[in-house]
Parts: sequence; structure tokens; C-alpha cells
Amino acid sequence: MGQPAGPAAREGTRIAFPEVAVTLRVNGASTHLALDTRVTLLDALREHLALTGTKKGCDQGACGACTVLVDGRRVLSCLMLAVTCEGREVVTIEGLSEDLAVRPLQEAFVRHDALQCGYCTPGQIVSAVALLAEGRAESDEDVREFMSGNICRCGAYPNIVAAIRDVASGSTDALV
Amino acid sequence: MTVVERGNLVGVAVDRVDGPLKAAGAARYPSDFMPDDLAHAVLVQSTIAAGRIRRIETGPARAAPGVLTVITHENTPRLGRGPDPVFAPPPPLQDDRILHHGQHIAVVVAETPEEATAAARLVEVDYERTEPLLDLDDPRAEQVHDPGARDLSRGNARRALASAQVLIDVTYSTAAETNNPMGLFTTVATWDGDALTVHDSTQWPVFVRATLAAAFGVPQDGIRVLAPFVGGAFGSGLRVWPHVVLAALAARQVDRPVKLVLNRAQMFTSVGYRPPTVQRLRIGATHTGELVALEHEGVEPVAMEDDYAESLTTASALLYACPDVSARLRQVRLNVACPTWMRGPGEGPGVHALECALDELADRIGVDPLDLRLRNYSEVNPQTGKPWTTNALRECYERGAERFGWSRRNPEPRSTRDGRMLVGYGMASAFYHYVQNPCQVRATLFGDGSAYVRSAATDIGTGTYTVMTQVAAEVLGLPVDRVRFDLGDTEMPPATRQGGSGLTAALGSAVHNACRELVRSVLDLVRDDAHSALRGCGPDDVSVDDGRIIRTDDPSRGETFAEILARRGLAELTADGSSERREDLDGEPGVFSAKFAEVHVDPDLGVVRVVRVVAAVDGARILNEKTATSQIIGGTVGGIGMALLERTESDPGTGRIANATFGDYLVPVCADVPHVDVVFVGERDAANPIGVKGIAEIAIVGVAPAIANAVFHATGRRIRSLPITLEKLL
Amino acid sequence: MRSFDYSRATAVGEAVATVAADPAAAFLAGGTTQVDLMKDGVLAPARLVDITRLPLRYVHHGQDAVHVGALTSMEELAADPVVAQRLPVMREALLLGASVQLRNMATMGGNLLQRTRCRYFRDLTCPCNKREPGTGCAALQGVHRMHAVLGTSEHCIATHASDVAVALVALDAVVHVQGPEGERAIPLTDFYLLPREEPNRENVLRHGELITSIEVPLLPANARSVYLKVRDRTSYEFALSSAAVALVVRDGVIREARVGLGGVATVPWRAGGAEDVLRGARAGAEVFQSAAQAAVQGAIPHRDNAFKIELAKRTVVRALQTVSDKAS
Repeated sequence: MGQPAGPAAREGTRIAFPEVAVTLRVNGASTHLALDTRVTLLDALREHLALTGTKKGCDQGACGACTVLVDGRRVLSCLMLAVTCEGREVVTIEGLSEDLAVRPLQEAFVRHDALQCGYCTPGQIVSAVALLAEGRAESDEDVREFMSGNICRCGAYPNIVAAIRDVASGSTDALV
Repeated sequence: MTVVERGNLVGVAVDRVDGPLKAAGAARYPSDFMPDDLAHAVLVQSTIAAGRIRRIETGPARAAPGVLTVITHENTPRLGRGPDPVFAPPPPLQDDRILHHGQHIAVVVAETPEEATAAARLVEVDYERTEPLLDLDDPRAEQVHDPGARDLSRGNARRALASAQVLIDVTYSTAAETNNPMGLFTTVATWDGDALTVHDSTQWPVFVRATLAAAFGVPQDGIRVLAPFVGGAFGSGLRVWPHVVLAALAARQVDRPVKLVLNRAQMFTSVGYRPPTVQRLRIGATHTGELVALEHEGVEPVAMEDDYAESLTTASALLYACPDVSARLRQVRLNVACPTWMRGPGEGPGVHALECALDELADRIGVDPLDLRLRNYSEVNPQTGKPWTTNALRECYERGAERFGWSRRNPEPRSTRDGRMLVGYGMASAFYHYVQNPCQVRATLFGDGSAYVRSAATDIGTGTYTVMTQVAAEVLGLPVDRVRFDLGDTEMPPATRQGGSGLTAALGSAVHNACRELVRSVLDLVRDDAHSALRGCGPDDVSVDDGRIIRTDDPSRGETFAEILARRGLAELTADGSSERREDLDGEPGVFSAKFAEVHVDPDLGVVRVVRVVAAVDGARILNEKTATSQIIGGTVGGIGMALLERTESDPGTGRIANATFGDYLVPVCADVPHVDVVFVGERDAANPIGVKGIAEIAIVGVAPAIANAVFHATGRRIRSLPITLEKLL
Repeated sequence: MRSFDYSRATAVGEAVATVAADPAAAFLAGGTTQVDLMKDGVLAPARLVDITRLPLRYVHHGQDAVHVGALTSMEELAADPVVAQRLPVMREALLLGASVQLRNMATMGGNLLQRTRCRYFRDLTCPCNKREPGTGCAALQGVHRMHAVLGTSEHCIATHASDVAVALVALDAVVHVQGPEGERAIPLTDFYLLPREEPNRENVLRHGELITSIEVPLLPANARSVYLKVRDRTSYEFALSSAAVALVVRDGVIREARVGLGGVATVPWRAGGAEDVLRGARAGAEVFQSAAQAAVQGAIPHRDNAFKIELAKRTVVRALQTVSDKAS
């Protein structure tokens, strides 16, 4: 919804970068930050709040490693400007890890060996928590389709599907 | 699902010991480290493929907010090259020449990533362009024959081909692929005088240390490289790429810790890739399918002033009995970034061409593809005549075919349908020649009877943490949860690289030897101890179980580790162990597999979907059924990508990578991957004391040709270039 | 990314006034295109006006149409029961686009305005007429397997990437916008501009105009529709070719037909010629072939994307068959 940059995009940057005061509510706790407007939610979490569980895999909205929940929905934090998250409820893998209801899913990931290098895993788990809440884990086929926004280069997909289905067929309601 | 073939061949399916940490998002990868006072470096890369920098204007970038420095070839000191050019590329920013598009030409260091990224766009470069060499067929390009001295031949293939009853003469091409691990390669460097601490995305920490020492002319002792977790690599972390040196250089220049994270586009140009190949195969055979001659000529690009060698064609000389063979590789020096190892390097694309060509032969003479392989089965290494250490390829064929239901295959192409979809069955053999390099391990037993074992290796997702814990626990007779295995720190004893499927055998042997040495050291403590039931026992006289050493001749007599250490007043006891490269083996180590794939092809739209894969693998002893199965599944996913999706594309004329994003370079997603049925066969391998072979590469080798052959079976169309995209089937 | 000022709008009029007053200002909604292109340096607004808190997030059900607030997310719209029942082609197009994460972020207004995935457009080091008119089109000689065969010019062959816009253009959707000079309604078929001398102008919006809602007329209750998407990967990929098709078939005769094409054109493509062939004809393989041929009338292939003409035809035929099977 912007305009094409044209030559303007190559002009020199301004001297003072606009900083804005942002209150981010992450995993139930509020933090006041002064942020460069350009800081993405992903970088705010990692670089400013030291919540490094959320990973940067592409920074282009194409891999899902940076998946977090905002107001209960799974989104890509690399394409969200932090400043736009004022007043939103952000939940990351760190927050989910404190949630007893999510533990069965994490345990299922370990039990089914649904992770290898582990880099995409936080995004996979956040995404899977949302998937279960969305009611989209009723079949292997659904899980495959609706987890396709999370790339795993190690290729753990069949085990990821098995882990999620295991939880879905058991104690799904614990996660919702 | 995995089948336990026999007794203790397949080890206990212990859960990944680092699994809970990873599932909690608490495993710390290089980019997760943030030393105090951290500055951020961003690379600027060449936008031409050949020429020189006439002028590089850094003034606007330097003037931009937050910028600390801009490093170019004009202000970079002479940097030394690492000790082994195979693993250490030429150091960066040493002159004004441009050898490939995407070459690093500057580093911008700023207070924040946003400032560094914005300022990097302000660096202005005036290039003097020359015409780049970008085409494998360019007659001006320098040819490199037999890189790495891996060509193999026997007999006279050319002559034998001329008189063969049946001749297959086909050319296959495979696409350039980019490793693209999920973790963006990151280096965090902190200097303290001449001492340097580095967190790095690497598969070989001790070689990073050696290379940085050489680059800056500082002692290795002062350099510490850490890589406890790496977000995948698939070969791209085997070399110490220029950005690693540049991060350390930037930190030195600004005298602050510096973090350099490659962006996804830079992951395509900065850390290697699988080279594209063109491969001509000429196969001579009898009417009944007996191979009489085989000639495999491969061509691939290599960088102008950097080298890379792979075994593209060697498997063609090693997989089948055939009297006259010539397997050769030629490289062409082009203005491209240097290729590197990517999972199943060489054999991945090489076996693809071989196994597809054999499928063509089978079709030509009307022999079942699996029968064709069995008719040319070689019990020994056909090149040397020596036996393999172990070889269960025949069992791979049998068990794989049985589980897949190969006998149900209608030999007629385009004969089987499932509703509208064309159904195809395909198979391929697979081979990988792994090597075992030296490793050192230190093992400590504590007074409470627990153990700590460590080595400066890595676990890039393979399960090293887990299987080494298991090996140590086995030798020390301890439960797995009483053993901690640690890695990824050069303060630990040196380990070889995690590559070429060699680490498990090499490191596992060293873990085995260190732990055995530790048991011996414990026995030494009581050698002359009149109070000990173990007095005078050596390691061969005892066994260990649940922390207790017991006499083999009288299992009722023994003592626990804890008792012995306590009596001696020792808080801990440490022993070292190592493993060497084995040159003294009776046989030669090789890993074997047979892959079977079923595809469905939409006859109108050309869309191919893999609906199931069976992988039968001779990996000798499998230490951990769970992590080993994951390795094979992961390689299969990589093979699906290679067969159907992955292709790094370059612009004609500039060599610019045209699809350097995860939206444009397609790797398989969850919906692309079907059920993968893994079966392990074979027996313990005598090449090492733990009885294993390496399985990381064999996991991908043979997958693409099994799929391509299935596509032929489904459609009757032989697609000789990868990836098999739908337009080739329209 | 170039630095920018940020403000959050609380009313539509205020947002419009702010952006209209500043030529370097832009609206920010879901951000999936905007932020991505700002990172690449392709977009460099000096001011972003965050419109995500405006009251434009709704799906209203009218007698003959659904009215979709511009800030409704793709996932929200796909979950609407009336959409599922009366506009399945739109629902399918929504759910075949991107990933759940992106569909949660991306707004319907933003979806219509999403920019091309052409890598040359997105790389400042390449000439691109869409980014900087007059600099040339690198895609013509470059890697262009994904590029368009319909609606192209010698200036630009970039593909419009949206799925749902293809369904919407076939459904005769109307875009409601508010600008500094008031409100207007624009049929989606008149909304997009083909790339001629100024490929940077992709639609008829003037600076400061904001999409407030999309009006989607319901299909007749007896219509059958489908969105068929063909791509390399099974999921999470843009279309190589897609077809949005809706038919009303009575007594074997096609009474009403809608055909939209995606993945092959520079704008969401309404294949009026195909509809003319279909309307009044008896449903069957032959007429579907003729319609497909008409749908790609005027297509211009380039070195690596000629297959898209044949693929688009086969996509249309398959979609028509599928709908026809449903209808009978």
C-alpha cells in the first residue's frame, strides 16, 4: 500500500532515526521500549527482550521459523513492525514453555523425534499450538497442509505430523 | 516405521537428549549470543561477476547514523589463509578484483542491525566490468581434469562399448542446489587482546580456530570457537568461509564484539552450493543385461581461484560388476562462487545419472530394473577386487522390494492408474564412500558415579549428542541419564569435521576408546588393592553394569565406580581416548542402500507427487533407531527436493542468483512429504570398535533417481534433467 | 530499510488525510508486502500510517452480496459461513494462498494491492520498469519461468500473485475506496492497470485513497464453482497457473459462466472470451477446450514460460470439468 520507491530509495538516510515509545506485552509481561520504527517484532523479541527462542530463518516471511502468537493467532514476527504491536498480546515459545498445557506437545515432539537441528522447532511448536486450537489437526492430510508454512530443512515433517496427531488424538483440549 | 532386523544391530531408540531444550526454544545457536556492547556487521556484495572495483565510495555509509566503520579492500590488512585450502578459501578483501557475483566487497559495522543494513545500501561502487565466464561450454574457460584425483578406470571402456550388444548413450543434467540450512549462518566475534572468542555456524570448530589464527597471525591457543548448536548446515559449514574472517576482522577494527548474520540471499552466495552437473553415460550391455562397459563423464563448474572436488562419477566404478569402466570428472573454471559439499556430495547427482541410465537399459532390454541390478551384483569392490568391510546391498534390495511391494509393479510404463492419476514405481541403488578421520575425547568419572564426556565436535541435527551419550553409557556401563556428553567448544579435545558421514564412526570410536581407557584407569586404582574384589583385573577381565564393575569369571564379585573413587579419596578421574584414520583394514568401508518410490502424476497438468518411499539402508550397526530413522527420512526429503523442486537459478550474462529467497527457491514443505518407510539391514562393521557406518549421505543418495524412474514408469516419459518440473511432462 | 515516521490512525478520514497530505506517506495494514518490500529497499515511505485499528474488520451479509471490510484477514474471511456456502471459489482461493500465518496477517484490502513476486522488481540492482519506469525490464532476458503470458508488454511481464483477487475478479467484486475527495466504488475488473508505459501504476487508486471494503456479489444458489491452483510445491507457493471458475448449468446447458485466471497474467485476469464461449453452450469436453483456447487468446510466450499457455488451458479445462461434474 505504499508507493514505488524510485530513486528516493537510494537517497541518504536521515541523521536522526525516529524512535518511538512502545509498550510490548509479551508472554503476559509488559515492557516499555524505545524502538527505531524499523525494528520488527522478531528483532524486538530477540535483540531487545533477549527472547531468542523465536528464530530468524529468512526474514522474508517465507519460512515460518519466526512464528509467534499475536492476540491468539499465529503470525510471522519478521514481517510485523514492533511498533504496530502496541496493545497486542504476544506469546512466544518461551511463554508457551511455561504453559503446562503445551508440555504434551513438546514432549510429543521429542518422543517422535520431530526435530533435528532444532532451529525451526520453536516456530513449528508455536504453529502447532495454533493449529490444534484452530481444529485443523483432525487428519494427517490437514496437518500437512496447515503446517506447510513452517519449513524444516532437516526434513522432520513425517515426525512432526506424527507428534501433532498424537497430541490431537489424545488430549487436544488441554491445548486450546 | 523401522524394523529391528537382528538382535543388537539396531540400538535403543533413546529420545534425543537435547530434544527438550530444543522444543523449549532454549537451545542457543550462534545468532542467539549477544555479548555486551555488541555491534552489528552487514556485508556488501558485488553486483557484477567479473572485473575490478575502480572506486568504492564509503563516505555516505560512514556518515550514516550509528555507523562505526566500513571495511573494504582498501583498508583490510593482509590476511593469512587457513592451513588446508580444501577447507579454507582464499581470505577476503585482499584486492580490487571481482571473481563472482555476490563476492563480499565491504563490511559495514554499526550500532544496530537496522543501521548497519541501511548504511550497507549507501556504499557506492564503480566497477570496471569484464565479460564473465558463466557457461560450462565456454571455450575460453580453463578446464580442470580429475580434480581431487578421484577418477577411476579399469579395462578399456571405449573399446568395450564399441562392441557391446546394447548401447545406452545418454546425458543427464542436475541443477545447482543451495544447502539452505534454516539457521542463517552467524559469526559472533569478541577480541581480548590477541585472544578471540567466536560463536560460529560451523561443522568443524577446531578448523575455524586454525583458520582464524592463520588469518590474523595470532596463536591458536588464544582462540576459542563455540558451536554447541548449529541450525543445520548439510555441508555448508565445513569450510571457514570469508564472512567468518570478516566478522572477526570487524570486531578487531571496532574493538567491540561484532555479530555478523548472513541474510537468506547471502546464504546462496557465501557458503557454497551443490554444483550443477552435466553427465554423459555410455553403458554397454548384453541382451540379457550383463554390463560389459560403462563410461561416465561428468562436467561441473568450479570457482576461478578456489577449489572443490567431489566424487561425482566414482560410484559408477564401485556399484556394479563390470569389466571395463571409465569414471571421470572435469571442472570448468567460471566466474561463480565456489561450490561446496551438500548432503550426498558427488554421489547424490552422480548416482542419479547412473541409476537413471540403468533404468533406461532395463527398459530397453525388457528386464526388471531390480533384476538388472542383481544380475550385475558385485560381492567385492569391483575396482580393487578387495572385499568391503561389510556390504548388505543384496539384503537392501530384498527387504526394500518386499516392503515396497515391488513384485506388484506392472513392467509396462503408463500402465497403472489410481483414478485419474498415473501411478509409477521406481527404484535405485545407492552408495557412499565415507571416511573416518582422527578424533580425541576426554572422559571423566565423578565421585557420584556419573560421567562427563566431551570433544570439540558438532551436532548439526544428526543426533551426535545423543548417540555419543549412548556409546559412552554402554562402555561405562551407566544408564544414559548418568552420562553427559558435551561438544561444540574448542576448549575440549579436538574432533574432526562433521561431514562425509564420517563423524559418528570417528568420534564414536574415540568415545569408546576414552571410556574404555577410563575403565582401565579405574582398574589401575585397585590393581594392588587387597580390599578390592577387582584386584589384578584388566579391562578384558570385567564387565560393567549400572555403574558397577564386575568380574567376568565371578559376576558376584565387583565394586562400583563410586566406591573405588571414594576409597581413593578421588573426586573425579579422567582419561583420554582417540581414534585414527584406518589404513589397515582388510576391506574398504562403504555404505549401501536401495530406494523405492511411488509417484502419482497428473496426466494433464504434469504435477508429480511422491506418495511413498521405502529406504532400505545398510548402515551397519545403528546406534539409535530413532535418530537414525530421522536421518534417513531427512535425506529422503532432501531427495524429493532434488528430484522435483530445487534449482538455484542464475541470470544469463551476470551470474546473479535469480531466486535467492525461500519463496523462489523451493524446498519441500510438510505437504510434499509422504510416509517414509525406513528399514535397516546388515551387520556390525569391523572398521571401528562400535561397529557403525555413517548414514547422513546415503540418506539422500538414490532418492532422486528412484523418483525419476517412477516418473518414467508412470508416464513413459524419460526426463533427463533435474528437477522434474511439470512443464517437462506437459 | 529507510527510516520512517510512524503514526496510528484512529479514523478513516484521518488516515486518508494524513497520507494524502504527504506524497512520501503510505498506509500500513497487514504488512506482508509492505514490510517485505521496505526491507528490500523497494518501498521507502518516509511516513507509515498504521490503519490496523480502523473499524474496517468485518464481514457483513447482504441480500445479494457480502461486504468485506478491507482489514478483514484472509483467514477470517475464509472462515465465514456464508462465504463457504455461497462463494466457495473465493474460500478455496483464500485457503490455497500463502500459509496460515500469512493469511492471519494479510488483509483483504492489502491482498488486492500486493505487489508482484518478480525478483527483478524486488532487487534494486536490477533494471525494472515497474520500480523505476524507463530503466528496462530485466525479466525479459532473465529467469522468467514464473512470469506472465497474458497482459504483458515489452515494458513488464511481472505476474500478479494474488489468488483471491482472481476469484474476486471473476465474481464481479466491487472495491469501495475513500479518498481526500470522497468515496467511490470501482468494479475490480476496472481496478487494475495493464503494464504499459508506466508499469509502476498498477491500479486506479490515487495517492491517499484507501480501500475500505470489498463488495462481493453472491453466486446464484444453483451455481457451482471451484478455484484450481497448479504449482510445483503442494502448498505454500504462488500459482504457476490457476483458474477461478463458476458455472450455472441447467438441463446440460451452461446458463452462466465466470472464468478468472491467475499465475499467468500481469493482473488478475477475467477471461471474458472464455465465458462467451461457455454461455449458452452444452457442457462438455469440446466446449471446455474451446473456452480454454479463448481464455489464453493473445498470450505472448517468452523463452522459459511458453508452457504456461498450455498449462493455463489445461487448468481451465480441468476446473470446468470439476465444476461441471459437481453441477450434474
